[in-house]
Amino acid sequence: MPGDRVLHETTSLCSRCKNAVEALVVAVPEGEVWMRKSCEEHGRQDVRLSDDASWYESTRTLMPATAAPARTMREVEHGCPFDCGPCTSHQQKVRLPVVTITSACNLDCPICYVHNKNEGPYHMGIEEFRAILGHLTRDHGGELDIVNFTGGEPTVHPHLLDFLEMARDAGIHRVTVCSNGIRLARDEELVKRLAELGARVALSFDSFEKLADHQLQGAHLLATKTRCLDLLEKHGVDTTLIPVMTRGINDHEVGRILALGLRRSNIRHLEIHTITYTGQGGASFSREGRMSMHEVLREIERTTDGLLTPQDFVPSPCAHPLCYQIAYLLLDPAGGPPIPFTRFMPRSALSEALADRLYLEPSPRLERAMHDAIDRLWAEEDPAAERTLQLLKKLLADVFPSARPISRAESMRASERAVKAVYVHSHMDEETFDTERAAMCCASNCYADGTTVPVCNYNVLYREKESRFRKVPREWNERRGGRRSFLPVLNAGSGGK
Amino acid sequence: MTARLQGKRCLVTGGSRGLGLAICEAFARAGARVAFTYSTHDDDAEEARARIGACGTPALVFKGSVADAAHAQQTVGALAREWGGIDVLVNNAGINQILPIALVEETDWDLVMGVNVKGAFLFSRAALKPMIRARRGHILNIGAFSSERVIESPVHYAASKSALRGLTEAMAREVGRYGILVNLLSPGLLDVGLGQMVPQQRLKEYLDKCPLGRVGTAVEVASAAAFLVSDANTFMTAGKVLLDGGL
Repeated sequence: MPGDRVLHETTSLCSRCKNAVEALVVAVPEGEVWMRKSCEEHGRQDVRLSDDASWYESTRTLMPATAAPARTMREVEHGCPFDCGPCTSHQQKVRLPVVTITSACNLDCPICYVHNKNEGPYHMGIEEFRAILGHLTRDHGGELDIVNFTGGEPTVHPHLLDFLEMARDAGIHRVTVCSNGIRLARDEELVKRLAELGARVALSFDSFEKLADHQLQGAHLLATKTRCLDLLEKHGVDTTLIPVMTRGINDHEVGRILALGLRRSNIRHLEIHTITYTGQGGASFSREGRMSMHEVLREIERTTDGLLTPQDFVPSPCAHPLCYQIAYLLLDPAGGPPIPFTRFMPRSALSEALADRLYLEPSPRLERAMHDAIDRLWAEEDPAAERTLQLLKKLLADVFPSARPISRAESMRASERAVKAVYVHSHMDEETFDTERAAMCCASNCYADGTTVPVCNYNVLYREKESRFRKVPREWNERRGGRRSFLPVLNAGSGGK
Repeated sequence: MTARLQGKRCLVTGGSRGLGLAICEAFARAGARVAFTYSTHDDDAEEARARIGACGTPALVFKGSVADAAHAQQTVGALAREWGGIDVLVNNAGINQILPIALVEETDWDLVMGVNVKGAFLFSRAALKPMIRARRGHILNIGAFSSERVIESPVHYAASKSALRGLTEAMAREVGRYGILVNLLSPGLLDVGLGQMVPQQRLKEYLDKCPLGRVGTAVEVASAAAFLVSDANTFMTAGKVLLDGGL
């Protein structure tokens, strides 16, 4: 198009047949970023990727260092994204293993981005999960620290608690159960057991408003979610809130949802998703709701009165920078406003501290970053920094109490209680699909034979082909034309420093 | 065979938990009469009293801050009345704050130096009176490997433990003529105290450098302490014993 400035080429999918098509990502004169592509059979297709070309361009330079998967399962035959397993051209190992344990769900959300099946539902068997756990543990050199259970609705699985016990016994300290909260709100005993097993809950929470709730979830669930949060808080279950941001429906509520997350003591993270148009609901949902990552960041800034700005977020160092943006906040036990980490340490230091993981964990890099930040704030004698210094001192006193030693696990929990994280995770659908991003995905759905499939590829292409999730599974098309290997990206691995 | 500390009258500061408690238990098992001080947690002290009692004779317990001169004098005075004297003093009470120098304020410095250095001075000074009268005795100061090795350590804590080395050497020289032996025992990371809390990655770094490849146990340090204050130690004074697995 006249006036377009090409930012990069990639391979995408036709939004109708899902065959691979060449695509151009361009900056348009209005400052937005668009993907332009054309399918021989279905014609030209354009989709807006971002409202801000300069943000898109600068963010895209912050590529992660390549971290090849522990093992590959497929040679490149059809090209990305048709050889998942992972294939030999995949560029990131699995940092967030996702295990889909059931096809059954007790809700039918209009924005549901997966396919579920309640008639003759699939429930993962114990041995199937044992096999997955074995593969994952081996692939992580015996140091697997995180697993995410999803569905359907995992809490309806008859062996969920057995799975949680198995994961705990395998030494995984961050076991997360995705949930809509309906069963948890009704079953306090289950919440108690989750607490006893050290499980964490990732609770979908889209809106406080009746109309928006109906539009997004098909029901007004605020009372249910509130009851669920009360029980999770009562029993000390670490919780992540997952709102799906949809333009014109609930985007104006993101600040309020964030405030809820900051207020509740057991909520550790917010993981804000941009709406994605895949699955049984999402594929037919109105495209007017599409929001880019940067628009969510701006809306967060607007609705929190600047508590968090786009500059307070850094890309995850183990994923494509356009997929995950992360901000950490230091809490004030006295009730003062939380302080984003980027206000007392350089963005590059936060990025380095995140290093090999999706979540901040105690590490020499984090210690060094915090120590450097303390020294700098102190040396510069900025009166405004005094509150930050006192909060950091309180944090150290909680993590390493001098009055009476605590266990390593208690020490780690004390550090987690002092901070909260806000993640913005932008999934792709067939319209926005970009193989450059897919090849760097670190969150994968896991199978018993050791196969892993990046979650966007899984949601867009693979799940609908499985009889476990669809009564009539879809067939593969030709699968031709996907990018077969990936050229090095400018600044790859440098984190843009 | 006679127990190593049979009949010895031993006072351990900070004896209600961790290394202090392990030392009390080791001494009691070796036949000693044991008294200990503690500062804050009554429940810990009661549990410690029961555990020490189960090892030998009932323990005498005193609550107070080691940095309080009156507490030191009253404790030693009470033991002199109860036992007729003191044979062994272990200056174990200590405090640590994991803080970079930027966050160490004057009150933090005073607190750590007060407990770790002034406390050892006050209790030593009080216990020396009956020891000089008896012309015998053992004083054992519990240091830390951070005062002997170049590792990252909070400055006030490292300074306080280094001060104990000076205190040990000077005191040993001054009171040696009365047959009083003064030594310093400096453990590395242990299965109690800071060793319990140190982040996994830090622990791994430490263990990678440690020839024995593990943290020490409080029982191992207590066993070494029992030797150093026993009659088997007749010639070591002003000694500095590092017990850190060869770090």
